[in-house]
Amino acid sequence: MGGLFSERRSLLIGIGATVALVVFLIVVGEEKSLVIGLTQGSAYGMVALGLALIYKSSGVFNFAQGEFGTVALYVLYLLDIKGNYWLAIIGALAAAGLMGFATERLVVRPLFEAPRVILLVATAGVALLAIGVELWFADAQAKPVAKAFSRNDRITVFDVQITDQRLWLIVTLAALAVLLGLFFTRTNLGLAIIGASQEPTATELVGISVRRLSSFTWVLAAVLGGLAAVIAIPDLGSFGPGAMTSNYLIPAFTAAVLGGMTSLPGAFVGGVLIGIIQSVATSAPLFQDGGELAIPGVPSTLIVFVVLLVVLVARPQGLLGKRA
Amino acid sequence: MALLEIEELRVGYGFPVLMGISFEVEEGETAVLFGLNGAGKTTTVSTIAGMLKPDGGAIRFDGSDIAGRPPTQLVRDGVALVPEGRRVFPALSVSNNLRLGSWTRRREQAEVDQRRQLVFDYFPRLAERADQAAGTLSGGEQQMLAIGRALMSKPRLLLIDEASLGLSPALAKTVFQVVKRINDDGVTVIIVEQNVGVLPYADRALIMEKGTLVFSGVGDEIRNANLRETYLGGGSE
Ligand SMILES: Nc1ncnc2c1ncn2[C@@H]1O[C@H](COP(=O)(O)OP(=O)(O)OP(=O)(O)O)[C@@H](O)[C@H]1O
Ligand SMILES: [Mg+2]
Repeated sequence: MGGLFSERRSLLIGIGATVALVVFLIVVGEEKSLVIGLTQGSAYGMVALGLALIYKSSGVFNFAQGEFGTVALYVLYLLDIKGNYWLAIIGALAAAGLMGFATERLVVRPLFEAPRVILLVATAGVALLAIGVELWFADAQAKPVAKAFSRNDRITVFDVQITDQRLWLIVTLAALAVLLGLFFTRTNLGLAIIGASQEPTATELVGISVRRLSSFTWVLAAVLGGLAAVIAIPDLGSFGPGAMTSNYLIPAFTAAVLGGMTSLPGAFVGGVLIGIIQSVATSAPLFQDGGELAIPGVPSTLIVFVVLLVVLVARPQGLLGKRA
Repeated sequence: MALLEIEELRVGYGFPVLMGISFEVEEGETAVLFGLNGAGKTTTVSTIAGMLKPDGGAIRFDGSDIAGRPPTQLVRDGVALVPEGRRVFPALSVSNNLRLGSWTRRREQAEVDQRRQLVFDYFPRLAERADQAAGTLSGGEQQMLAIGRALMSKPRLLLIDEASLGLSPALAKTVFQVVKRINDDGVTVIIVEQNVGVLPYADRALIMEKGTLVFSGVGDEIRNANLRETYLGGGSE
């Protein structure tokens, strides 16, 4: 079961591991990777937050989480052409929320009683459908997407510039992790979602509609997915169909697993850790051309899979999670 | 008019389980529903609370037909069920379990505070463990919490499925005594039991066998009728 005590202890382990990693990287002179990793990892963390939210409430890994974000990007692209950027962002998030709502109504709800693996495959179907629609709409061409903040040299840490756009991402993610933490421990609605994830029958008996909670959760997760996309992707300048699924879903999944799948702070910390590990892997001599483990072009992808496997084998409950 | 009137109630799971049972419970009573395993007790109370849809018959609560209403509506109407197996929210604290119990009254903060105080009066043990995760409570404490959570909605009719299962005789007696107090405070109670130790606290006894009602009696009838020998296999307390 694991009471408050063991939860605290897991959190301490997570923080301890992070601090150890930071110190280690500074000692071996990889502090640049630390900063690059933090900025990259924040995006993973935000997608992972949505994954953890859905997993917490529906017990399913949501393959469509990435595409909630890509759809938001297309809406941002369309609305931004003529009109206010911030209104376009709001429109993009609304579109993501709408897609989450539709997914819950049309796919999740009819499969409420079905085995979770069926639902898992169904969410993959939603992602494929979304990518199909995006291809039909935009061909395979990359679309440009503008940044909200253009200044790049305001902050420099360890010789690495953190763009204002990235700063926005980091601040938003940290704020979200805190707000969601409060939401799930302090509000009736948040407590109800936790309760329903474990005891749906009892939840109905106290007067809460489990189905309505499910709608709410999917909309919230989809908006988070949208937010991750509209903040993280503009730094890259452009995007194409399936952008969030191909670039972010697997690292985010690894981050969520690392964080224990249901833990929101875990998803946050896991995302940052994956970002750091990835950037170390890309810059470490071992993986570079001529290095012993050189695989041209893919070290960062490879390392994510390695981490995922190691975590699944060695500590399946994640760094911050509790043993089932 | 009785608070609860069940008429020719038929319920099943694709195959019939309740074969048309009828009984009434008056406002202010404590009724006990006995029966061997599989007799249909859980099916009966689950249907009253809206967890199962009846195939036929009527369920009237305070005069209106409630058959087929969802549980989320019924708890607002004043029917609360303590389900079989307690079903507390394991990851949430005792306090938060009670808080969710008051969901239908969440906009009435004063009422909620008052209810919580009442529950803590009935079960002082819960007050001591207010911040403990419900999943780490003992079986008896979880039973208290499940009853307390149901009380938070301020029910007129409280259904308790298997109040004493897995409790020591002493603890079972304590739970029965609290149920008696709850009843004295004006709540009508239907309690599913296999333990005849509950009889001294009951106003009415109902006995089920294979989906039918084979005995229904009130007052002295249930103490004189040799219920134990006739229906309950002469078991001990
Ligand atoms: N979900 C279900 N699906 C199919 N059959 C069920 C289901 N629940 C109960 N039954 C069947 O209905 C009959 C009555 O079950 P019920 O749970 O109402 O009995 P009970 O009197 O509460 O028994 P117990 O004392 O063991 O709790 C049993 O034969 C049982 O197998
Ligand atoms: Mg039963």
